[in-house]
Amino acid sequence: MADRAPGLVATLSPWFVHLGRRRGRLLTGAALMLLALVAALGLLALSGWFITATALTGLVLASGGAAMLDVYVPGGGIRAFALTRTVARYLERLYNHDTVLRLLADLRGHMFAVLADLDAARLSRRRASDWLNRLTADIDTLDSLFLRLLAPALVALLAILGLSAFLALWAPSVGLATGVMLGLIWCWLTLGQARLGLAASRRRVTELERLRGRVIEHLSGMAELESHGALPEQRRRLDTIEARLRDDQRRLGRLSALGTALAGLTVGLTWVLALWLGAQLWASEALSGPLMVMMPLAVLAMSEALMALPMAFTQFGATQAAAERLNALEASRRPTKTLPDGHLPSAGPLSVDLERIGLRYPGALTATLDDFSLHLAPGERLALCGPSGVGKSSVAALIAGQLVPDSGCVRLGGVDIEHAEGQALRRRLAMLTQGSELFDDSLAANLRLGDPAASDEYLWRLLDDVELGEWARTLPRGLETRVGEGGRRLSGGQARRLALARLMLRDPGLVILDEPFTGLDAGTARRLAERLDAWLADRTVIYLSHRRDDEAMPLPGVTQTLELQARTGRPLCAKARNLSG
Amino acid sequence: MQGQLTPRAWLARLARSERRHLALAVLAGIAAGLLTIAQMATLAWLVSSMLIEGAAPASLMTGFVALVVMVMLRALAQWGQESAGLTASLGVRARARRELLDHLERLGPVGLADHHSASLANRVVDQVEALDGYIARFLPQMRLAVAIPLVILGVVVWLDWLAALFLLLAAPLIPLFMALVGMGAERLNREQFETVSRLSRHFIDRVRGITTLQLFGASAQATRDVHAAAEDYRIRSMRTLRLAFLSSAVLEFFAAVAIAVVAIYVGFGLLGYIRFGPADELTLFSGLLVLLLAPEFFQPLRTLSQHYHDRAAALGAAEGMVALLDEVPPRSDEAPLPCRSDALVELEAVTVSYPERGRVLGPLDLTVRAGEILGVSGPSGVGKSSLLQLMAGFIAPASGRHRAAPDLRVAWMDQRPLLIHGTLADNLRLAAPEADEAALRDALRCVGLGELLEALPEGLGTPLGERGVGLSGGQAHRLALARIFLSPAPLVLLDEPTASLDDDSEVRVLEALSVLVEQGRTLVIASHRPAPLALATRRLSLSREGAGERRESEEVVHG
Repeated sequence: MADRAPGLVATLSPWFVHLGRRRGRLLTGAALMLLALVAALGLLALSGWFITATALTGLVLASGGAAMLDVYVPGGGIRAFALTRTVARYLERLYNHDTVLRLLADLRGHMFAVLADLDAARLSRRRASDWLNRLTADIDTLDSLFLRLLAPALVALLAILGLSAFLALWAPSVGLATGVMLGLIWCWLTLGQARLGLAASRRRVTELERLRGRVIEHLSGMAELESHGALPEQRRRLDTIEARLRDDQRRLGRLSALGTALAGLTVGLTWVLALWLGAQLWASEALSGPLMVMMPLAVLAMSEALMALPMAFTQFGATQAAAERLNALEASRRPTKTLPDGHLPSAGPLSVDLERIGLRYPGALTATLDDFSLHLAPGERLALCGPSGVGKSSVAALIAGQLVPDSGCVRLGGVDIEHAEGQALRRRLAMLTQGSELFDDSLAANLRLGDPAASDEYLWRLLDDVELGEWARTLPRGLETRVGEGGRRLSGGQARRLALARLMLRDPGLVILDEPFTGLDAGTARRLAERLDAWLADRTVIYLSHRRDDEAMPLPGVTQTLELQARTGRPLCAKARNLSG
Repeated sequence: MQGQLTPRAWLARLARSERRHLALAVLAGIAAGLLTIAQMATLAWLVSSMLIEGAAPASLMTGFVALVVMVMLRALAQWGQESAGLTASLGVRARARRELLDHLERLGPVGLADHHSASLANRVVDQVEALDGYIARFLPQMRLAVAIPLVILGVVVWLDWLAALFLLLAAPLIPLFMALVGMGAERLNREQFETVSRLSRHFIDRVRGITTLQLFGASAQATRDVHAAAEDYRIRSMRTLRLAFLSSAVLEFFAAVAIAVVAIYVGFGLLGYIRFGPADELTLFSGLLVLLLAPEFFQPLRTLSQHYHDRAAALGAAEGMVALLDEVPPRSDEAPLPCRSDALVELEAVTVSYPERGRVLGPLDLTVRAGEILGVSGPSGVGKSSLLQLMAGFIAPASGRHRAAPDLRVAWMDQRPLLIHGTLADNLRLAAPEADEAALRDALRCVGLGELLEALPEGLGTPLGERGVGLSGGQAHRLALARIFLSPAPLVLLDEPTASLDDDSEVRVLEALSVLVEQGRTLVIASHRPAPLALATRRLSLSREGAGERRESEEVVHG
C-alpha cells in the first residue's frame, strides 16, 4: 500500500503502533478468521471430491469390478470441517468485536490525554460541537481499521496464496492460474477500490461534517433565523450540501457495487478456468476425476473471502483522512516540560510577576501582548479591566500556565511556572472562567470537582452560601439532580453560582475570577460579593472585568486596577476568542 | 405527524416511497440466484459428461462458453441489485432528513431548547445515515431469502426428494431460531444504541470542559473516566453481541451440517450403500448438483442475518427520530388573534409554563404599542425570556390570550447571536437577502462596526467561522444588531442585548438602539443591567415573592 499516496505509511504508522499493543489479540482474531475460511473451503472441496470419488467407485462396483474406497476418513473430514466452520466463525466474530471495543477504549483514552495536553490557544479553536463530533467519528473510524480493512485483506491474501499452493500440488497450471487471477482481483479490490474511492470518500467525511455544522447553525440560531424569515434560505443551503453529499455517496456506492460484481466475475471465471485446465489434465490422464472436481469447488468457496473487501476499501479515504486529522492533533501537543525543579510555596497567598511578556497567536497580524509586565504582592487584589478581546483572558491563561509566552516569564510565588511542578500549580491556583463550564453529571459531582472529599453537608452549606440551597432543596433528587449537558438545565445565573461554589471548595493561594457575577442580578451579586470577599481573605486575587467601576457588579476589596488598552494598530478582529467562551 | 407513530410504521412508509427501486433490486437478486442455479447445473453436467460419459473437454466447448456467459450475466445482476438498493436508500435518506428538519422547524426555538443542538444534528445527519443498510440491503434481501431457497428446493426435489427433505428439515427451523434470537438481539441492540450515544455524549461533554478539567487538575482522572466509560460500553456490547452473533451461528451450523449430510448421503448413495428411496437413482450429475445447491440454499439467509444488525440499527435510529417527530410543538400553527386596538401586541392574563419547570410567567396583562420602548426587568429565572419568546410566537401561552397586530413581523436578538458559516455579507443578508452592499455597509456603520469593516482587507467578503471565531463577543452582538437594522420588522425583541459587553461596546449598542427607535421601531428589552433599561419609555418589573408567587409592577417613565 506504500506507493499509493506519499506519506500513507507515515500517516497510518502511529495507529499500527496502537494496534501493535494488542498484537496477540489481533493475530488470534485473524487466525480464527482464516480458520473459518479454510474450513468453508475444505468443506466444499472435500465434499466435491468425495461425491465424485464415490460415483466413480460406484460405477466400477456396479459393473462388477473390484474397487475400494475409504469412506470414513473423508466422511469424518467433512463433519470436522462443518463443525469447525460454525464454531470458528462464531468465536471469530465475538473475539474480534471484543478486540475492537478494547481498542476503542484505548484510543478514546489516548486521544483524551492528547487533548488534555493541548494549550489554551489550541483548545479554544477546537471547542465547536461539529469538531467534537468529528473527533469522535474519527476515533471510531480508526478503531475499525483492523476489523474492516487489515484483517479481511490479510486473511483473503493468505487464503489465496494457500489455495494456489494447494492446487499447485496437484496441478501446477491450475494453481498458477488461480494465484494470478485471484491475486489480481485482490489487488483491485484493495488498492484499486481504495484509490478510485479516495477522493470521494475523503470528501464525504468533510461534507457530512459541513452538513452537521449547518444543521447545528440552523437549530441553534433558529430564533433569529425564524424571526428574520431566513429559514427557507438556510434550508436551501443545507439542501445544496446534502445534494453534494448524495452525489459522493452515489459515486462510492456505485464503485463498491462494481467491486462486488468484479469479485463475483473473477471468482466465477477462475473456477471455470480451473475446471477447463483440470479437464485438460484429466483428459491427458495427469489428474484423477475427483481431484478435477475438487479444484473448481475450492475456488468457488473463495468468493466468501473477497466479498467484504470492496465496500470497506472504497471508503479507505475516510480512514486516511481521519488518521491525518488525529495525527495533526497529536502533533500540536505541548512539548513536555523540563524537569520541574521549582517549589511553589505550599500555603499562603502567592505573589504574581509577569516579566516583559510577549504573546502572539498563530496567524495574528500583531501581538496580543507586547513587553507586558505586572507585579502583584501576596494578598493583593487586582482588577484587570478593558474591552473584550484586549487580552485579559490571555493574561489569565498565561498565569494559569495554559498558554506559554513567546518571550518573558511568569513567576508565581517567585517560581517560574515553566519549572513549577504541574500538580502543585493546579493546587495553588484556582480560576473561574468566563463561561460556567459544568459537566453532564449531578450537582454533587460538579461541585466535587473542586474537592473530591467534600461531605454532603459541606456541599449544602456552600449551596446556601451562593443562594442555591433553597432551590436545590425543592428538587426531588437534591444533590443528585443532573445539570444536563453543559449545565443546560440550569439558568445562566444558577450555573454561575454553582461554578462559584465549586471554586470555593478549593483552597488556593491565587484566584483568578473572570467576570464572577455575569448573569446575576444586582442584589444577588452584592450579597454573593460579601461571601466571596470572606473566602478571598488571605489569597491573591485577579479580577477580569470589562468595566472599571460597576455599581451593580462590585468586585470586593480591589487594591489595584490595571486598564488594558486596545492599542492602535491592533486588528479589531480578535484572533482568539475568550478561552472559556 | 400525529402521535403514536411507531418506528416500524415510519420505516415502512419511507420504504414505500422507494418501492420501485426496491422491487428492481429484488428482481436483479432473483436473476442472480437463477443464474447461480444454472451455473451449478452446467458445472455438474460438464463433470458428469466427462467423467461418466468420457466426453473430451474440447467437445464440451459450448458448455464452457455458456458458463462464462452466465458468470458475466450474474455479475451484472449483482451490480444491478446493489445499484438499485443504493438509489432507494439515497432517496429514503433524503426524505427522512427533510421530514425531520420540517418538524424541527415547527417545534421552533423553545421546542428545541431542551435538546442539545449537536445531538439533534447527530440525529438529522448521522442517524439518518444509519438507515442505509436497512433500505439498501436488508429489505431486498428479506424477499430474496424467501424466493431463492424456494426455487432451489424445487430443483432439489426434482433431483432427489430425500436430499430435499434434509434441506427442508433444516429450513423451517431457521426462521424460528432467527425470530427467537432476533427478538432478543433487537432489545439488546436498542440498549446498545443508547449506550453508544451516552458514551459519545460523555466523551464530548468531557472534551468540551477540558479547560476546566485542566484548571482543576482533574484531567488525569477524567482520562481514566473516559477509558472506564469505554470499557463499560465494551462489556455491555459484548452481552449484546454474544446473542446477536448466535443467530448467524445457528444459520452457519445448519448450512454446514446440511452440506455435510448431503455430501455423505449422496456419497453413500452413489456407492450403493443406501437401498431405499430415490438414492438408487442418484447419478454423479444429480449428486453433484444437489451438493452444489446445498450451500446456495442457505446463502440468502446467511446474507440476511449478516444484515440483521442493519435492521436493528435502523430501528434504533428510527426510534430516536420518531420520538422527535412525535414531539408536539409548544406553539400552535395558527397565527395569534388580531389585536383589538392598534397595539402591536396584547397579552391578556397569559401564563407560560414548561412541563418540568412549571409556571414560569404570569398571569400577566400587557399591551405593547407602536413606538414605545418597553424595558423588562427582574431577577434571573423570573420569566423575562419567556415573555419575549411568547411575543415572538416561539411558544403558546398555557392560558390567557396572545393577540398581535395582523402579519406582525418581529426581529429577535439574544445573548447568543447567530453567526453562520459564510461571509460577513452572508451573515447580514440573513435578514434581508436582497440588500445591496451599500445597505450592508450602512447597517454596519449604525452599530459601530464601520471601523472593523474598513480594517478587513476582504471587506464584506470576509469569511466568518463557526460560533464567531474571529469576532469578539461584542462584535458578534453588534453584527446581530446590524441584521435588525436591515430587517423591516417593526417590533424588536432584545433578550439581554448587552449582557456580555464591555462599557464601550454597550454604549455603542445602546446608541444603535436609539437609532432603531428613531426609525420608528418598537423595542422590548429584557435585561437586568441598568443602562439598557434606561432607554425604556415604560418599564415592566417582574418579580417573585414567596414560593412561586409572582407580582408584576409597571411604571411609565416620563422624559
